[in-house]
Amino acid sequence: MDRRTYLGTAGITGLTSIAGCLGGTFGSDKGNGNGSENGSEGRGNSNTVLKPPERNLSEASHPSYGDELPALSLPDPLAGETISTEQFEGERAVLMTFVYTNCPDGVCPALTLRLRRTQEVAAEEGFSDDIALLEMTFDPERDTESKLRTFANEQGVDAEAENWHFLRPETYDSAKEIMTEDIGLPFKKTDAEEYEDLEYIFPHFALILLANERGIVERAYPKGSSIDPSTVVGDVETVVSE
Amino acid sequence: MRRRDVLAGIGSLGVIGGAGAVAIYGLPSVNDESDDEREPVDPLTVETIEAPGSEAGKVRVPATNQPTFVDFFATWCDPCSEQMPALIEAHDRLDNDVLFMSVTNEAVGRSVAKAEIVDWWKNHNGNWTLGIDPTAELSAQYSITGIPYAVAIDASGRVQWSASGRKSTNEFVDGIERALESDGAEGE
Repeated sequence: MDRRTYLGTAGITGLTSIAGCLGGTFGSDKGNGNGSENGSEGRGNSNTVLKPPERNLSEASHPSYGDELPALSLPDPLAGETISTEQFEGERAVLMTFVYTNCPDGVCPALTLRLRRTQEVAAEEGFSDDIALLEMTFDPERDTESKLRTFANEQGVDAEAENWHFLRPETYDSAKEIMTEDIGLPFKKTDAEEYEDLEYIFPHFALILLANERGIVERAYPKGSSIDPSTVVGDVETVVSE
Repeated sequence: MRRRDVLAGIGSLGVIGGAGAVAIYGLPSVNDESDDEREPVDPLTVETIEAPGSEAGKVRVPATNQPTFVDFFATWCDPCSEQMPALIEAHDRLDNDVLFMSVTNEAVGRSVAKAEIVDWWKNHNGNWTLGIDPTAELSAQYSITGIPYAVAIDASGRVQWSASGRKSTNEFVDGIERALESDGAEGE
């Protein structure tokens, strides 16, 4: 991405509603959806199941259609094992998002709901074994194993199911590196002046990634907290039924 | 101040990205507040439980030929507790005109027992239809973005108001009245 473009916009507009999490896309305003000559998006790809997305996100800083899912290997504190995104290749599609349980404005529960609904439909329709649901916290300092377990209960996800994994980097620095380097989203711990009970928050982008079992991204949902959950579920069903 | 610059950059890029999408692709129609031509939502059957003001059974959401108001809540959610007095007053004012209900999408029967939901309801003086959405089907249908979340649907099944976060009595009443005032007529 062009970081100068990003920084250059800083002074132009005032603050919009900044809470703990942000909607909107990032660095993707250049897409034209009409079959770009560069990049993997805009044309069919034999590695993908879904057709190119309506909106071309190939200029986005995060992984998008046709890209490889970033290879991450992280502890699942509930299961007590290390989970690698690559271990699902040839086995399961991957639906992945990034949250922190102190998220004060409901974006993280909304992201979680999309994964949860996929988990529910997978159980109902019999494709639980074809999908891995990965929810990475980028706030390991607060999101301990017991906090994640409580969050799972509150949000109604079945964290005991084989297809669910919380991923927890060991340190804040590691989380930051993953978010900025691997996932390609701006990331910064921020004072939470407007929230009495929180010391800090993370303005972050509500991204959900769907990769097929070859580890190729089929969809990046940059407005993952407000997208119609049935769209996500439908895309997952198509990808796993290939 | 560096931190504010970074925040402004993120926030405004979200806006710019959105504007680009508008210019190229047109407004997304789903859940857009300004969309006058929204389609009726598909009805779902929601299980209701026995509690003050509520009987065990099933209801169709949205109701047929009647406006419907749904408050999505959860027993762990503090703003949900805090807004119960406002909901009670809104219910007192509008109950005769709408199907007024609260629904939790907690995994009832797995992460929380039905009795715990009822206890919460009694402690917060709820006195209207209480539904459960243990598989989040209803929550998914309305694409809720967090809890609490309010949805008002007119008699023709079109969502006329939806909003997340804690609300006042007047906000609830105003939102529900949008569904009451809409006659559900097609088009203009």
